[in-house]
Amino acid sequence: MRNCEGIRESIGSWLDGELSAAESESVRAHLVSCTDCGETRRRLEKMQLALKAALISQAPQIEFMSFWRGVERRINQKRAWYDDLLDWSRGLFAAPRVAWMVPAVIGILLVLASTDVWRLGGSRNSFASVESIDAYGRSVALLREQETKTTVIWLYQDQEGENDAAEDTAKSAPTF
Amino acid sequence: MTLLKTLRNRLRLFSLIVVLVAGWVGAAEKNPQSVQVRIRTILAGNKSDEFDPKLKDMEQQLKPLKYRSYRSLKDDSQNVPWQGTRSFEIPGGRLLTVAPQEYQNNRVSLKVRLTEGDKPVLDTAVGIQNKGNFILGGPPHEGGTLVLLISAAAQ
Repeated sequence: MRNCEGIRESIGSWLDGELSAAESESVRAHLVSCTDCGETRRRLEKMQLALKAALISQAPQIEFMSFWRGVERRINQKRAWYDDLLDWSRGLFAAPRVAWMVPAVIGILLVLASTDVWRLGGSRNSFASVESIDAYGRSVALLREQETKTTVIWLYQDQEGENDAAEDTAKSAPTF
Repeated sequence: MTLLKTLRNRLRLFSLIVVLVAGWVGAAEKNPQSVQVRIRTILAGNKSDEFDPKLKDMEQQLKPLKYRSYRSLKDDSQNVPWQGTRSFEIPGGRLLTVAPQEYQNNRVSLKVRLTEGDKPVLDTAVGIQNKGNFILGGPPHEGGTLVLLISAAAQ
């Protein structure tokens, strides 16, 4: 046997015919035997009847036609392009799509960062970095050419011991 | 609430996948087995206006050196393991020894030593972009100047 509190919560649904056959039978049996719950049932039935009567008496006075005409007009109305755009953008930023987009964007950025595409696109990091030079007392020049991103280490080597053309070499040292 | 929970779970799952994929990509990048080192030896001079057609692809890179003629003398490639060394013979009894040190952030670190007979001429440590290059020039040779284009590609 169900308790009174549970039965009272179900009386409304029972009156509306929303319970299963077994539940309905259980409520009905309880109402027969319990006077308190029977009283609750009577009060609810009275309230339902009063509401129904009020609705039935007022319904003919409500003007539904103008309401339906309005709905029909809105349906047939041609939508402006910006309304469509607004609806599309609302859908784009709807929560489920954003949930997919956030990790997708992170993933794309990570992939780009780990490929040559990123580095080729940007100019940074493409120069050779010279960490140390030891020319054993000789002069050395370090050139970084911006246009081709070329790093040049130029050694000004002693010309002694070279053949007579060495003079030409010394004169032709690069003018960077 | 159920929708929010589902979204949160999906977000966590995808973040985890992204982190794992990024880790895998990063690990793949950090584990090349060796380096393909290429040394192109060029004789630069001012006695003519000859430009060797073999050097067409590096014309722009040679431009800042301001020589009038460029002739390719040698083009050598060797596969060098990490921490290993390989020597390249350079005209004029010289030797260029290259030792790849490490590979990080798509850059190859190299130690390069130029010797003339038994005498060391230059020691340098250079970090270049993978598949990138740098120029080492200056040693005189046959009335001109040697220009070495040193490139490295992690394998």
